[in-house]
Amino acid sequence: MNEAGLRSLLREAPIPLGEDAERRGLEVVSEAFAQGRRARRSSLPRLALALAIATLLAALLLSPAGAAVRDWVGDVFTAGVPDAEPGLTEIPGGGHLLVQTPAGPWMVHPDGSRRLLGGYRYATWSPHGYFVAATSGHTLNAIEPDGTPRWSLSARAPATYPRWSPSGFRIAYRAGRTLRVVAGDGTGDALVATNVADLPPVWSPLGLGLIAYVETGAGIRIANTETGQIVGSAGALDGIETLGWTTDGSLLLEASRRSLALRRVTMSKLASNLHLGPARPVGLPDGATVRSAAFSPSGKAVAVLLGLPASAAAGLRSEVALIDTASRSPRRIFAVRGRLSGLAWSPGGKRLLTSWPDADQWIFIPTDGRGRVRAVDGIAAAFDPGKPRSSSFPRVEAWCCNQPPGT
Amino acid sequence: MAAEGGTVEELGGRELPPLRLERKLIREAQRGSRDALADLYAAHWSQAHRAAYLVVHDAAAAEDIAQDAFLAAVDALDRFDRRRPFAPWLHRIVVNRAIDWARREALRRKLDDPDSLAEPETSPDAVGGELMEILAQLPPEQRAVVVLRYLLEYTPGEIARMLGLPRGTVNSRLRRGLDRLRDLVEVEG
Repeated sequence: MNEAGLRSLLREAPIPLGEDAERRGLEVVSEAFAQGRRARRSSLPRLALALAIATLLAALLLSPAGAAVRDWVGDVFTAGVPDAEPGLTEIPGGGHLLVQTPAGPWMVHPDGSRRLLGGYRYATWSPHGYFVAATSGHTLNAIEPDGTPRWSLSARAPATYPRWSPSGFRIAYRAGRTLRVVAGDGTGDALVATNVADLPPVWSPLGLGLIAYVETGAGIRIANTETGQIVGSAGALDGIETLGWTTDGSLLLEASRRSLALRRVTMSKLASNLHLGPARPVGLPDGATVRSAAFSPSGKAVAVLLGLPASAAAGLRSEVALIDTASRSPRRIFAVRGRLSGLAWSPGGKRLLTSWPDADQWIFIPTDGRGRVRAVDGIAAAFDPGKPRSSSFPRVEAWCCNQPPGT
Repeated sequence: MAAEGGTVEELGGRELPPLRLERKLIREAQRGSRDALADLYAAHWSQAHRAAYLVVHDAAAAEDIAQDAFLAAVDALDRFDRRRPFAPWLHRIVVNRAIDWARREALRRKLDDPDSLAEPETSPDAVGGELMEILAQLPPEQRAVVVLRYLLEYTPGEIARMLGLPRGTVNSRLRRGLDRLRDLVEVEG
């Protein structure tokens, strides 16, 4: 390839969704420009300015185009993190956390004390928190909460995304591009599916050995891990990154960076097949990026963490919202100017935990609108003691079980 | 320079305004003209977005980065020196943010799966062809200088100033990037 050829290729390579991106960008930039002009020109007192903005918002929301975002600007809005606690001395609401760091997963106890479990990359609780399944390179390991290895299994390809079945008798994991299942004691390792996409599988909460995963280029598949049969299938959202399944087994959650959808699941009378209904999209604000999404333990809501485009006036924003699974209507419960990452439900569903890496904080958000938001400072140092602040912020994998693990 | 001189040049499928017209648009935008801002945006979006995409290889991230750069431009419009061309200033923001994003993404992938390639996987169908697959195999810093040089037509000296690098580093990244592209094309071909 000569330089002229390279120039030509760079200029002509197709860019996905280029025209839509240009239109969306112009809307955002133009609105930020108009707001900035208004703010600079105005000699009105703040109250008058606030009223003007409220009027603009009201006009937007009463228009047909604004109707879709109406729910996103109502209800609770909390800016910033109030009165952060100086260190991790307890987990608000109790339970245990599994936290992934570059050194490996840590277990955090209700009093804030913590233990590094070892040099593993992906970790997950057993259903009652008695064990942790974790992967490291090509191995899948079951470890006790104090870090003692119980058993270890070697796979032919890098092992990722271990997921313990609700019964506790099976662990699914991804090895290379395959999905495999092994018994909870490390025996009977078996292939379930090939060409499996790079996202965690999710077990059916109803038992029956059913597991949902995404087959690359094909869509969602539900397999019976005992027989290897596919018992349900459907297309998946483009760029799907998250799958979830409600505890009553009736709904699947699909999330990609730009969209969120719920899909009804019904079982045939003989329980031999599952019918997956159409994906029903959840309306998101224009330009929003889905960073995390998860069903509540009750299955009545989906918590979603959204990144919203930067504006000249406000900068990058993040919002946490709850979406009612019946009405698909959202309720914002927390918002900050900055980038939040990750969401974990407390075992009882009363709180959500998210991270604010730039502020070095974890934030515990009450989900019922009562109680106060609690923030804890000094998270990076808590998992990397004695070192300057790490570039990789501890990631909460899961929040488990009110009873102490191992008891 | 792309935007300098009194003629209209075509780059990345979009005509750029001559410098004199661009100054006029900026002046009008500084006075509050939304139309002037829209014209500036229309003239520069395509290149900014393309440059971001060619560095990050992620459509959503490229959109965010380009949008973010324009928002930064809007925010700083009142302070902008109209004697200077707009494009280099915008491209500097775009490319630096794209490099940051690509580095973070590579780190995230590495932490998630140390056995995986550090660079994002690309699919010919999804991203538009062989070039993207080949480009994806370069480190983000090399991709950025290749894009600045051969898409946006900056000189190595200008690239060095935009990225805050010694000129020799830019030259060596360009040379390594081109060598690697040639090697890859030969291997692929």
